[in-house]
Amino acid sequence: MMKASAKLLPALVLAVVMTGCGDQRVLEKLGFSQTSSYDIADHDLTEFAVSIPRAEPQAQTKREVLSAVAPSGKEARIKLARQTNLLLVSGQLRNTLFSVAIARNGMEKLLDTLVRDPSVSPRLKISIVNGNAKKLLEKEYKQHPVTGKYIDGLLEKEAIGRTIPLTTLYSFTRDLYDDGIDPVAPVLKDEGDHIKIDGIGLFRDDRYMTKIPPSEGLVFAFLRGSFKQGEVSVHLTEEKNSAKSAIMFSSILSRRSVKVRRDASGTPSIHYHIKMKGAVLEYTGNASLAEDSEREQIERQVAKELTRRGEAIIKHMQQNRVDSLGMGIAVRNRMSYAAWKKLNWPEVYPEVKATCSFNVLINNIGKVE
Amino acid sequence: MTSAQEITPPMLARTLHEFEDCCDLVHRVMPGHGIDLLYFGNLISGDRLNRDLLSLIETSDQEQLDRFFRQSQFVRMTDSKELVLGILAGHAAFFYKGAAYTVDVAGDEGRSVTPSEVETTITGPHDAFTEQASVSLAMIRKRIKSPHLKVIRLSVGEVTKADVFVLYIKDIANMDYVNELKKRIADIEVDAVLDTNMLIQLIDDNAYALFPQMLTSERPDAIASKLVAGRVVGMMDGSPTAFSIPASFVEFFSSSDDYYMRWLIGSSTRILRFIALFITVIFTALYVSVTTYHYEMIPQNLILTLAESRSRVPFPPVYEALIMELTIELLREAGARLPSKIGQTIGIVGGIVIGQAAVQAGLTSNILIIAVASSTIASFVIPNYTMSASIRLIRFGLILLAGLWGNMGLAMGLAAVIIHLCGMTSFGSSYVTPLAPNQPAEWKDVFIRAPFSKLKYRPTQQRTKNRLRSQMKR
Repeated sequence: MMKASAKLLPALVLAVVMTGCGDQRVLEKLGFSQTSSYDIADHDLTEFAVSIPRAEPQAQTKREVLSAVAPSGKEARIKLARQTNLLLVSGQLRNTLFSVAIARNGMEKLLDTLVRDPSVSPRLKISIVNGNAKKLLEKEYKQHPVTGKYIDGLLEKEAIGRTIPLTTLYSFTRDLYDDGIDPVAPVLKDEGDHIKIDGIGLFRDDRYMTKIPPSEGLVFAFLRGSFKQGEVSVHLTEEKNSAKSAIMFSSILSRRSVKVRRDASGTPSIHYHIKMKGAVLEYTGNASLAEDSEREQIERQVAKELTRRGEAIIKHMQQNRVDSLGMGIAVRNRMSYAAWKKLNWPEVYPEVKATCSFNVLINNIGKVE
Repeated sequence: MTSAQEITPPMLARTLHEFEDCCDLVHRVMPGHGIDLLYFGNLISGDRLNRDLLSLIETSDQEQLDRFFRQSQFVRMTDSKELVLGILAGHAAFFYKGAAYTVDVAGDEGRSVTPSEVETTITGPHDAFTEQASVSLAMIRKRIKSPHLKVIRLSVGEVTKADVFVLYIKDIANMDYVNELKKRIADIEVDAVLDTNMLIQLIDDNAYALFPQMLTSERPDAIASKLVAGRVVGMMDGSPTAFSIPASFVEFFSSSDDYYMRWLIGSSTRILRFIALFITVIFTALYVSVTTYHYEMIPQNLILTLAESRSRVPFPPVYEALIMELTIELLREAGARLPSKIGQTIGIVGGIVIGQAAVQAGLTSNILIIAVASSTIASFVIPNYTMSASIRLIRFGLILLAGLWGNMGLAMGLAAVIIHLCGMTSFGSSYVTPLAPNQPAEWKDVFIRAPFSKLKYRPTQQRTKNRLRSQMKR
């Protein structure tokens, strides 16, 4: 007993002394990139930039932005590391920005390092920059917090309001590799003193194709799935005197249902039905919302207008051959796998008859009346 | 009569010989009555001796005296060893007509009953056991008015011969535990046992274990509740602490207050204590492992403040944490040893000077001070001092492991502690009941304190034959 422990003890001490110190990541010696950007450079190269917050109290700036041109992400990190005294790590990465130009060429290869590296969070937000991503990242927006944090807050808040989908590394790659849906990502744009949401970028596989304007973001959200919370503004034309008016809904509760029909030849057709409830916060028209008949009239008008806008989005997507709503999934779920394989969805998709209808209910008309 | 006559003179002589050089022994001779009287003047109550005995003896004649010694308070001694022990216990020895008698005239000198200082409660009784077992026993007797409450007297210490009492309630306690406890106490062969906490270390199952295996308490209400629950209680003369067996780990996290407050409040306090256990064990270690290895875990908004305060510190997080933990332990130990008036100064010096200055001097980071302070505070939430001291010790091991292997080390350390806990027994019963063996029905008196109507059965650990404790319909 004593002999065994006498032998074990040095072994244990040795094990303790010799391991452990290898892979330390002591906090203050780390440069944790919070935002990274990807731009196109010459000769098939990519320009990478990262923004790293500086924590030292004596540091002059709150962050440093490093950039390098390299063929791959991790190679760029080696180049970037030569420019700083901190150990570059990617475990605190919150945002990645891809320029539209690089997104048009396909993002799968660039995403590989993010998906493969276990320290990168799957909740990393992906967004597209209309313009140069590095310039957007480098720029100081005086009225706003540090740019990386500014973008992060902007995306998060807008995603809660449903004007853009919350696109994370997880959701993007899931939609990318799933059959019958294409990924989406918010588009940002530099607007002088501000950064602006410039719409929702639609992808075909990993290539950026087109976008829908930010004003239609919520209509896109209606079609994409059920949700709570959100705000939408709808323009109406009064039936009586054809005067223009606007109505704004808040605290929206929306339930989407999908109906798939197949005709005799087997070609599917899809119908989205959305039941929307909401509280009216603003109404500039003349009708009295307190009157049942007049309110129902308004509800029908809003539904009609939303249907028009929804179908316009669907048409736009079909023309660009991007299945961002996941119609393919709805169709696939209602047939056998063999039939789905035979269907060749990307070819069929633009020709599929897709429609939508809305049912609007005003559940609260606000303080007045 | 003849045999007694043969014994007596040598008995007196032998007894006197035994107590040779004991200047505190009083030897009184009453030639008129033929009585020799032996006692320790400091152990007995002079009042009792004079008023109850001597005054009567002096006024009575031979015949009355014969009858007098036949009273039950006089114990006839035949063994000189027993006689010596009796005198040592504060009895007065009478040698009369060749026979030896002892009478208990022990003085009840000792401090009076005071409120408990180690285990204070807000509501409920405040009295605590004293060093005198007779007083402590009376406190239990007053609470459990039942002839089924049995008290067995044993003695430990080859030299000190301290009285140890084993208490149990007949028909509720399992006699196996009673007999095992008696056997273990009788088997102790050591020169001196001076306190209950020392006694229990001599009779526990796992001498090398980290955790106490017997619940100690100085509260009579807590000990009475243990007795009624079917546990066996031990008490020692000269120690204000009683212990109960068998004990389980979770038992150390309940306090009398839980039962005196309404059940929701009692339950939340229990939950709070288990949270405190968690905090005290892992908080500092988690700080070390996160700042050394797992920067990914830190929320975005915290990481900058953390990195900023860390950037001033010249040591790696593990040394930083050990220095701080050591300082706190020094403060605690100094505070415990000092008189309470000076102890306050220590609190101020420690809290303000060290805490504030260490951060400003760049020796530690702010967040670490918070981690160390809250884990120390949390350790004092655990009601049993022995348990809380054991748990504080684990922390150092975990900090080292966290510094070496990060969260992996922390997990390994915790696993080792859990393995250790699961391997422990208390008088042969599992130390982690009702978790293993799993008794979910008993969790309602472990992790929460359910209303009394729901606490119908005594715990299984006691292996009692009478499990039912209440028949309330609600």
